[in-house]
Amino acid sequence: MNMMLRIAKEEWRLWLRSKVIVVATLIVAVLLAVTSVLTVNRVASEQSQRLAQQVAAEATFFAQPDRHPHRMVHYGHYAFRPPPPLAAFEPGVDAVTGQSIFLEGHRQNTPMFADTKAAADLGGFASLNPANLYQLLLPLLLIVLGHALLLRERESGTLAVMLAQGQSGVSLAMGKALALLAVIAIFMLPLIAVSIHSVVQGENGLAAVSLVGGYFLYLCVWGAIVLAASIILKHRAVSLGALIFIWLFAALIVPRFAINASSAAIDAPGKIESDLVMLAEQRKLGDGHNAADPAFQRLQKEVLEQYDVEKVEDLPINWRGVVASYSEAELTDLLNGYAENRMEQEANQSGLFNLFGLASPTIAIGSVSRTLAGTDLSTHHRFLRESEALRFDFVQSLNEVHAKELAYEDDLNRSSDPEAERRTRVNSEAWRVLDEFRFTPDSASDRVDRASFAFGMLLSWLILACGVAFFAARRVRV
Amino acid sequence: MTSPLEARSLSLNREGNAVLNGVSFAVAEGEVFALLGGNGAGKSSTLLAFLGFLEPSGGEILVNGKSVADDIAAARSAIAYLPEAAALYGHMTAYENLNYFLDLAGKSVKKADYDDALNRVALPREARSRRLQSYSKGMRQKTAIALALLRETPILLLDEPTSGLDPVAIDEFHDLVKDLAGAGQTILMVTHDVYGACQVADRVGLLRRGQLVGSFAAENGERIDTETVHAAFAERETT
Repeated sequence: MNMMLRIAKEEWRLWLRSKVIVVATLIVAVLLAVTSVLTVNRVASEQSQRLAQQVAAEATFFAQPDRHPHRMVHYGHYAFRPPPPLAAFEPGVDAVTGQSIFLEGHRQNTPMFADTKAAADLGGFASLNPANLYQLLLPLLLIVLGHALLLRERESGTLAVMLAQGQSGVSLAMGKALALLAVIAIFMLPLIAVSIHSVVQGENGLAAVSLVGGYFLYLCVWGAIVLAASIILKHRAVSLGALIFIWLFAALIVPRFAINASSAAIDAPGKIESDLVMLAEQRKLGDGHNAADPAFQRLQKEVLEQYDVEKVEDLPINWRGVVASYSEAELTDLLNGYAENRMEQEANQSGLFNLFGLASPTIAIGSVSRTLAGTDLSTHHRFLRESEALRFDFVQSLNEVHAKELAYEDDLNRSSDPEAERRTRVNSEAWRVLDEFRFTPDSASDRVDRASFAFGMLLSWLILACGVAFFAARRVRV
Repeated sequence: MTSPLEARSLSLNREGNAVLNGVSFAVAEGEVFALLGGNGAGKSSTLLAFLGFLEPSGGEILVNGKSVADDIAAARSAIAYLPEAAALYGHMTAYENLNYFLDLAGKSVKKADYDDALNRVALPREARSRRLQSYSKGMRQKTAIALALLRETPILLLDEPTSGLDPVAIDEFHDLVKDLAGAGQTILMVTHDVYGACQVADRVGLLRRGQLVGSFAAENGERIDTETVHAAFAERETT
């Protein structure tokens, strides 16, 4: 161990005395620090804004005056998805999915700010954020730093002298690996700082530690690949070229190919396309605003039988409210069917995309990162489901008020009779049927469970790269 | 008595080419043996084989009577090796280089001993704390020689040791080699410097296209005759 430390120390001495490397490292450090600070601030601001907007939306809903309950169904409400604390590091799909949604009767709206047609696009490779820097830039810096780790010794002849001092190729390689490991440990500091900040902001420690562990594993994979290349290849330029090709392949080509391949393999129509297809089926369900719609004849018969009356006017409940409630349930069933189908296809696309982690550690860490940060597609889907449940609950609660508290005759005549119209206004206390909505990420253990497959892929990459480096080091020649 | 260095019918291949073909020699304790040959004769490869860097394609190579293939670590711990290109780190000072390589060898040496070794190779004191990137080739070579001295191993392998040294430094180096041999160190040097080899060696072997084609020994306290060796060297190189 002492010898490995000694070798690592001398590698560090070289790096520190090489101004080019120091400058390159400083540039990356500044970039990381600036990006981290900016993202942390942006996410903190978005988090407080969306929470405030959620509270304000609820207050506005509750503050509505006495009115007909169906007007409140159309008045609607908003659900906001505040970014989780670790989004400060990994914005994940947030950049390409909506983070707020308008909830109203008879419709499932698209989350606002963006539509996500292709879930595989949710890799987040487009914008500069700390996660991107860790996934793309730091491996490149490791390549610049380490492509000639052992090769340089061979080229300058010092490898023979080192081996002649009685050191084995494996001990030299391990010393060099330790030097690179120390660099990786330093690279981890900004992430550790962001993770500590996220824990202070309420993130679970397990998720934060796992995220740090995941990126450490990822950078170690690159470190091992770089080390292996520096042992196996015989010329510095070849090593640098080969490693940059590997980086291009793993960090850019495979993810790009994976996006196209998963989109091509699983065709997931967007929300708008789904809505167009759905319209025809929706028409068959009838218009809930028109209680006389033939689509509700069977319902009418059943309700009349249930209450043992001849006419809807004799029902102890408001027939129009009953129709509104029934229609909403039927429509929601249809909408949910399409939504679930679309989300399943998106999840399948995303799953297929993540499988490409077997061909690229960058994809594997991307998956780990988004899942642990709570900014993955699965979390977005849960937001859609929970906001839809909120929508359905408040719409149906208002429909129940409509059915039970409003006289059918007043309801019929409210357009022509001001008195009837006044009587159909429900006390605003009824708006309290709206549940408080606070979207939170999954529990840390759930996220860690979901990330375990991608973690496994990273671990396999590390074992493979270390194995190659080890066997190459055993056969190292001067 | 076991020879510290011995090659028995040694054959070597490098990248598919035969570089040594059935070479045999032994170097006795306290002896300076110079392998003389032109470019590509297989001189440096012979040294690398003694260090276990090249596996023999035929024959056997022994250090202190043990096959190198059986115990490379034992061979390397007994040998100090001075490569042709004075392979040291340019970003380090002479002291730092010595300290690092001696640490790698597991040898603890006091700073005063560094200065003793550097004095013996006449490296200017003011240069010792400068990085080697500012050194001349000769100064680098002196530092590398100092490292070999500080190893205090029973065997010294020298690859073109006077390359880059000025004439005065060459003479001083030859004296140093004789002193070391006199103190019992076994020295195998490879060179194409006929004069240098004859000046310092007890025996000179002539290597040509991978074969040992001649041998000259100092007799009756006289040095080996340079003219004779030069004539043999020139004749064999041109035939």
